[in-house]
Amino acid sequence: MKRDVVIGIEIHCELKTESKMFSGSKNTINDIPNIHVNEIDLGHPGVLPTLNQKAVELALRACVLTHCKIDPLLKFDRKNYYYSDLPKGFQITQQFHPVGKDGYLDIVVEGETKHVRLDRIHMEEDTAKQYHIDEHTFIDYNRAGVPLIEIVSKPDMSSALEAKEYVSTLRNLLIFADVTDGKMEEGSMRCDINISLKEAGSDAFGTKVEIKNLNSLNNIDKAIEAEIKRQNDLLDSGEVVLMQTRRYDENLKTTVAMRSKESAVDYRYFPEPNIRPILLDASFIEHVSKNLPWTPSQWFDYLTNLGANDIEANILINNKTLLDFGARVLKDVKDSRLGLNWIISELNSYMNTLGEKLFETLSAHDFALFLNLISDKVISGKQAKDVLKWMIESGKNAQTLVEEHDLKVVSDDTSLLGWIDEAIKENPQSVVDFKQGKDRAVGFIVGQVMKKSKGQADPAQCNALVRQRFLEQ
Amino acid sequence: MDKTTSILKLKEIQASTNACVTIIENDEKTHEGLLSNIPVALKDNVITKGILTTGGSKLLSNYIPPYSATIVHKIKQAGGVIVAKTSLDELGMGGTGTASFNGIVRNPHDLTRQAGGSSSGSAVVVAAKAVDYAIGSDTGDSVRKPASFVGVVGTKPTYGRISRYGIIPYASSLDHVGYFTSNVTQAALMCDVLSGVDPLDQTTLPVCPTNTLETLNDNVSGKVFGIFEDVVNAVNDEETLKNFEAVCNALVKKGAILKSISMDEDLLRACLPTYYIIANCEATANHSNLTGVNFGLTQDGEDVEDIMTKTRTVGFGPLIRKRFVIGSYGLKDENQEKLFRQAQKVRRVVVDEFTKMLNECDGLIAPATSSCAPLLEGANTNVLSNTHLIAENYMVISNFSGTPSITIPSLPVKGLPNGINITCKVEDEATMFKLALAVESCVKELL
Repeated sequence: MKRDVVIGIEIHCELKTESKMFSGSKNTINDIPNIHVNEIDLGHPGVLPTLNQKAVELALRACVLTHCKIDPLLKFDRKNYYYSDLPKGFQITQQFHPVGKDGYLDIVVEGETKHVRLDRIHMEEDTAKQYHIDEHTFIDYNRAGVPLIEIVSKPDMSSALEAKEYVSTLRNLLIFADVTDGKMEEGSMRCDINISLKEAGSDAFGTKVEIKNLNSLNNIDKAIEAEIKRQNDLLDSGEVVLMQTRRYDENLKTTVAMRSKESAVDYRYFPEPNIRPILLDASFIEHVSKNLPWTPSQWFDYLTNLGANDIEANILINNKTLLDFGARVLKDVKDSRLGLNWIISELNSYMNTLGEKLFETLSAHDFALFLNLISDKVISGKQAKDVLKWMIESGKNAQTLVEEHDLKVVSDDTSLLGWIDEAIKENPQSVVDFKQGKDRAVGFIVGQVMKKSKGQADPAQCNALVRQRFLEQ
Repeated sequence: MDKTTSILKLKEIQASTNACVTIIENDEKTHEGLLSNIPVALKDNVITKGILTTGGSKLLSNYIPPYSATIVHKIKQAGGVIVAKTSLDELGMGGTGTASFNGIVRNPHDLTRQAGGSSSGSAVVVAAKAVDYAIGSDTGDSVRKPASFVGVVGTKPTYGRISRYGIIPYASSLDHVGYFTSNVTQAALMCDVLSGVDPLDQTTLPVCPTNTLETLNDNVSGKVFGIFEDVVNAVNDEETLKNFEAVCNALVKKGAILKSISMDEDLLRACLPTYYIIANCEATANHSNLTGVNFGLTQDGEDVEDIMTKTRTVGFGPLIRKRFVIGSYGLKDENQEKLFRQAQKVRRVVVDEFTKMLNECDGLIAPATSSCAPLLEGANTNVLSNTHLIAENYMVISNFSGTPSITIPSLPVKGLPNGINITCKVEDEATMFKLALAVESCVKELL
């Protein structure tokens, strides 16, 4: 039987703030465990929450980007449950009044635009991170209280491809808006997928299964494909799909049941009494929506206007770190096409080997000045490759290195012709070759000149002069 | 009073009253200010860094906090010296002083009687003249009722006037920091010391600390005292009524105007049940952190859930466990609308009515309790009577509304203390202290 797939997605996204959602502890998950922790994060008696304004701002950005209606009256609620990763015994969230409602995201799948509606965006705090090693459990409270938004879609997607594209588009939007770093593998962005099958064309939904904590775009794809197959197989053989929470097992390449959802937990939600409702100023909301960082499509336009082709622009858009660095470089360079070339080829390959360590020794400003030395013909392209290598190794700027290594480009005709004539004299056969139409003779003499000049001769200028000399012979 | 005298007195009364959990002998003055060298006692639900803070609960009987409450910093900055952590009903729940893990607290005026609760120990140490200042907390009437029973001034300023950061909560929307003093002038001073916006408590009022002491006087000429008629009617004790009338007449002699004001009786009778639902529901969530995972008297168990269950079973007294069950029941999905949400609606209606009453006068006045402190044993209460529902418990309305409220000692009943309560409009502590000072001087004249 032909069946339709119905998919809805919930995304938890850690916000890029300095401090936590309700405490002054630093918001960072990659550090020595339990050092960014205070009495609030540990849920000690007597503590009270203080709302992080930056987190509100980032949540508002997410709402604006996804066309959600913003509720200017912020209210928070308690979600009550006992678990060792939740030190207060409740999580502060926005159950009854989410900051954003009824938005949408347009995604492009195989050339077609698909409209995915969003149900809500709400703010909440993350739990502590637990590690189970042997029979022991270790708790890292660095993550306790990290600001989150949860973005809940309507069940508007109907294939793994659409789901993957939705997550990928949303992720890029949020990364570009500096809302989150979007690192799925590190858990700063986590997806739960709700999926059910129904008779093709029918209005009646099938039983919903939730797949928890998918940590990469690839796994979203694989998990959904596997789950569609599993549900189809069950239904084909006359069995029923149980309402369950499942996870994707990468080794088994299928989803595995975690718990039954029949016994739904009652979280006894009620309004958080320690945070008075906060009415956001209309001017604050306007300020946030008018000052959004550029979206990927705005970047695309900017880069193509600078002379990048579509492929080059997309290389940069898919590497936000390189793009951020490149953008600062491009502001200071005289020749942006030259800048793009160097960023996309040389810098990109250095980044592939060194990662973000590259930027510990290389600043955007120095790199731009370096590029200007090339366009001003102070150094040649060949010399430039060495200079860049030295810059990255030593952290010194290009000008200093040019002086230290006594680099310059010799392009005055007198000096060049001196070397050229010398080279032709030593290699008379080259003139014969040239006259017989062997063009490589030009390159050969240029090479000799480069040797004689210790790499300082301007190759383009030299090339022209050699040609001129051959013709004169 | 100096620190040495205070500590000697605290030790002297400990055996008979059980007022303290910890007597602190090594604190010294660190700053100069309104409280320079003045000994201050703290209810043992005020978090003190490095000093045992039990909240009156066995579960926290080994808890040494890693931080201090905002008000502790304020007291220290004003020059105060902390001399004791005082007994309380477990986690601030209970109004009798009999529900602490460390035993019953007794009334220093008659050891067979209650001191009232839940700020029992703080009330007692001021009554026994061991200190002039003791911090309490007031969720239903936990400062103002014991003040009446032991004969001291008990103050609860406006909700948000004093930071709650570092006070072990009971019910967050009803909890207030309050305090006991020997007289009204000291009460005004303490308000000026403790008040002010706190970035760590988002419910604090966004205003400067009060400055009530400087302008304090007892000139009540032309001031309208609203007599809370329903409360007076619910009092059965003839001596209490006679005393109240005498004080009111003395106020008139000072130029005050008396005006009878009342509220719908059904609404008044609904206040205590409404309070119980809201308070227990909030309390059950507030105390979900007490699991033994990070701190407290942790019990061994098979797994985390087992540790939590055993810690809470061993750590909490029977009254607390009962209240947590009621609170959880009230928040359950199928009950929340008809219990917790309904209670919040009733609270709103009561507050609206009460605000109208306060708009008709400068302050409402009534006996704080219907009589003197009850006996510890053999006290017989008809929980559905107006005496219990209204006269003994009406002060909870100020926790609903956040209005400033103060209990001042009145003339004795059966030779024992009994107080008068004054409640004013939100943020109008200045008027409250003025009216209270006038009552204080009337009582002095009548004695």
